[in-house]
Amino acid sequence: MNTIELREVRKSYDRFLAVDDLSFSIEEGAVFGLLGPNGAGKTSSIRMMIGITVPDAGSINVFGQPFDRKCLQKIGYLPEERGLYKKMKVLDQLIFLGELHGLSAAAARQKAVSWCERLEISDWLQKKVEELSKGMQQKIQFAATLLHDPAFIIMDEPFGGLDPVNATLLKDVLLELKKQGKTILFSSHRMDQVEKLCDSICLIDHGKSVLQGQLKGIKAQFGKNNVQIEYEGDASFLRQNALIKSYNDYGNYVEARLAPGADPQQLLRAVVEHARVSRFELMEPSLEEIFTEVVGKSDA
Amino acid sequence: MRNIFLIAKREYLERIRTKSFIIMTVLIPVLMGAATIGPTFLMMSMMKATSKHYVVVASDQDVGEAIKAQLSEAQKRENKQAAEAKQKGMKRSEETPTASVIADVDTNTSSEERARLTEKVRKKEIDGVIWATDDALASRKLTLITLDVSSFIQNTVLQESVGEALHRESLKRKGLSAAEIDDLFKHVELVAENAKPGEAGAADPQMTFIVSFVMVMILYMSTLLYGINVMRAVLEEKTSRIMEVMLSIARPKEMMAGKILGVGSVGLTQFAIWAITAMVLSSSSLFAAHEQLKDVISGKVLAAFPVFFLLGYALYSTLYAAVGAMVNSEQEAQQTQFIVIMPLIVSIMMAFPVMQNPGTPLAFWASMIPFCTPILMFIRIAVQTPPLWQILLAVAVNLLTLYGLVLLCARIYRVGILMYGKKPTLPEIIKWLKYA
Repeated sequence: MNTIELREVRKSYDRFLAVDDLSFSIEEGAVFGLLGPNGAGKTSSIRMMIGITVPDAGSINVFGQPFDRKCLQKIGYLPEERGLYKKMKVLDQLIFLGELHGLSAAAARQKAVSWCERLEISDWLQKKVEELSKGMQQKIQFAATLLHDPAFIIMDEPFGGLDPVNATLLKDVLLELKKQGKTILFSSHRMDQVEKLCDSICLIDHGKSVLQGQLKGIKAQFGKNNVQIEYEGDASFLRQNALIKSYNDYGNYVEARLAPGADPQQLLRAVVEHARVSRFELMEPSLEEIFTEVVGKSDA
Repeated sequence: MRNIFLIAKREYLERIRTKSFIIMTVLIPVLMGAATIGPTFLMMSMMKATSKHYVVVASDQDVGEAIKAQLSEAQKRENKQAAEAKQKGMKRSEETPTASVIADVDTNTSSEERARLTEKVRKKEIDGVIWATDDALASRKLTLITLDVSSFIQNTVLQESVGEALHRESLKRKGLSAAEIDDLFKHVELVAENAKPGEAGAADPQMTFIVSFVMVMILYMSTLLYGINVMRAVLEEKTSRIMEVMLSIARPKEMMAGKILGVGSVGLTQFAIWAITAMVLSSSSLFAAHEQLKDVISGKVLAAFPVFFLLGYALYSTLYAAVGAMVNSEQEAQQTQFIVIMPLIVSIMMAFPVMQNPGTPLAFWASMIPFCTPILMFIRIAVQTPPLWQILLAVAVNLLTLYGLVLLCARIYRVGILMYGKKPTLPEIIKWLKYA
C-alpha cells in the first residue's frame, strides 16, 4: 500500500504556479526524499498533503484513501519554520501537542518524558522554551512530531541548524523509526544530507517533478563517471582536457565529471604526468550533480 | 470540538498563571477606584482647608453688609451639605471641618483704594476684592479681583451670593420684612419619581449616573483589553511560527474559536474575582455605602453585565483575531486596529447622550446598531430599563452580526495566518474572502 499518493496535483497562488501537475507516491515503510532548490514547491506540496491548503486540481490519497482530516492523527509533521510557544514550559507544551494529536493527557505526558530521555533533553522539561538554545528547541520540536507515534512522518529540512552530534542523534532515531516500519518523507534543499538516508526520491524544480524513482536506480542510470582526484602540484591542465566535461576545484581535491565515453584510465595517466596523485577514485555522481545536470538539460 | 477545548484550555491556563493577570486583577479596581473617588476626596480635602478672606467694596455700607451676610450664609449652607454627604457616604462622622468666610466691608471707592487692595490680593494677604460700587451696581456688572480667576466653583458661588444679596437688599428697600424675604428665597427641591410601579424610584440619580458610568467604562476597557489580547495571541502564534505546527492538526476555525473562548474565559474569571471581592467587602461594615449602591446596581444590571460583556467581547475579539492574522508585527497591528476601535469609540461618544436621555428614539436606534449595542444597551438597562423586546431584539441583531462576522473573519484568518511579509491591501483581503 502507498502511504501517500499525489496525482497531478496543482496549486497556484495568485498568478504564481507553485506546484505544477506533481505526481508521486511513497510506499509504506520507505524513506522518501522530496528534493529541490528553495522555492521549488516542496513546502507547498507538503501543505497540501496535510490539509493546510487544498489543491486546485489533482488528488491526494493518504493511507490508501482520499485525504481526510482524521488521518492527521497518524501523521507527524516537522515544519521547516520551527515554532513553539515561547512562554510555555517544555513538558506542558509537549502534552498539549500530544493531546491535540489524540493522546490522553496521561499518555502524552508519559510519551513526552520518554522521548525527551531518548533525545537527551530530560533536564529541560520544566524550563520555558524561550530559555533554551535553538538546537534544544529543535529537539523538542522533533519530540513533538513523534509523540503520538505517527505512521507517516514528514520532516521539512530536519537537519537545518543542528550540530553534527545532534544531527547524528536525530538520524539514528529516524533510522530506528524506519526499522519499525514507519514511512518517512524528507524535504530538503540540502541533497547531500538526505541522500544517505533515502530509498527513493523525487527531484522537483519550479513545481514540476524532474526526476524520480529509486535512488539506486537513478544513480546507476547516471553511471560511475565522476572522479575525485587528490594531488600535489598544478592541476590547471584539467581546464582544457577533452576527457573532462566539467570539474569543481575544492582546494584539497578536485571533483571532475568525465566526458561521455571518456576512459578514466586515460585521465589517470594524464594527471600523473602533471601532478603527484595521492588519491584517484571513481565515484557515483552526487544527487546535487544529477540535479544540476537534469535541470540544466530541461532549461536548455 | 476537542481541539477547540484543548486550545481554549491552554490559552486560559497560560494566561491565568501569568503575573500580569494577577497584577491587572488587583490594579484595575484600584485604578478605577482612584479615578472615581480620588477627585472627590481631593475636592473635599481642598474645601476643608480653605478659609477665605474677601473685601467687599461698596459705596453704600448697607449693600456691603448684605453681601457679607450672604457670603457667610452660603458658606454655612455648603458646610451643612458637606456634612450630610459625609454622613451618607461614610459612617465615620468625624467632626466636619467648617470652612469659613471672612468679609470686610470697605466704603472707600477711590481708585487708590482699588490699587491698594489689588496689591494685597497679589501678596495673598486677602483672597479677593468684590467691587460693588454704585456705578458697578447700576451697570449690573461687578468685578472680582482675585488670583484664581479660573476657579469656576468659587466664582459661581460668589456670583450667586452677591446676586442674592443685591436682590434681598432691593426687596428690603421696597419695604418687605426680613421674614417675607427669607420666604421668597427658600430653596426649592425637585425630586424625580419613577412613573413605573414597582421600580425603585428613590435611587439617587447622581449615584445611578456615576455607577452606570463606572460599569460602562469597565465594560469598554475590558472589551478592548481582551480583544487586543486575542489579537496579540494570534500575532504571537504567527510570528513564532507555531501556526504551522498547529495547522498540521487543527483547523484554522478551531484555532480561532479556541483562542477567543480561552481569552474570554480569562475575562470572565477576572470579573468573577472582582464581583466576589466586592461582595465580601460590602457585606462587612467597611463600606456603609453599599446600602445605597444596592439601590443602583440591581440584579438586572448585574445579570446584564456579563451578557453584554460576552456579546461585545465576541464581536470585537473576532475582528481582532482577523486583524492579528492579517498583520506581521505589533506596529502593523497598531496601525490596523483603529478599524476595530472605531465603533467602540462611537459607542463611548454616544454613551453620554444615551445616559441622559435613555428613552429617546436616538437612544433606541443607537442601541440597536451592531457593535454599539453592548455598551449602549447596557447603559439603557442601567439607567432606565427598556422593554424586554427591545433588549432581545438588540441581542438578536448582534448575534446575527456575530454569525456573519465569524464566517468572514474565519476566512481572513485562514489565509492570513500563512501569509508572511508585507501587510495585505484591502483588495487582497477581499480576494482572501473568495478563496475556497
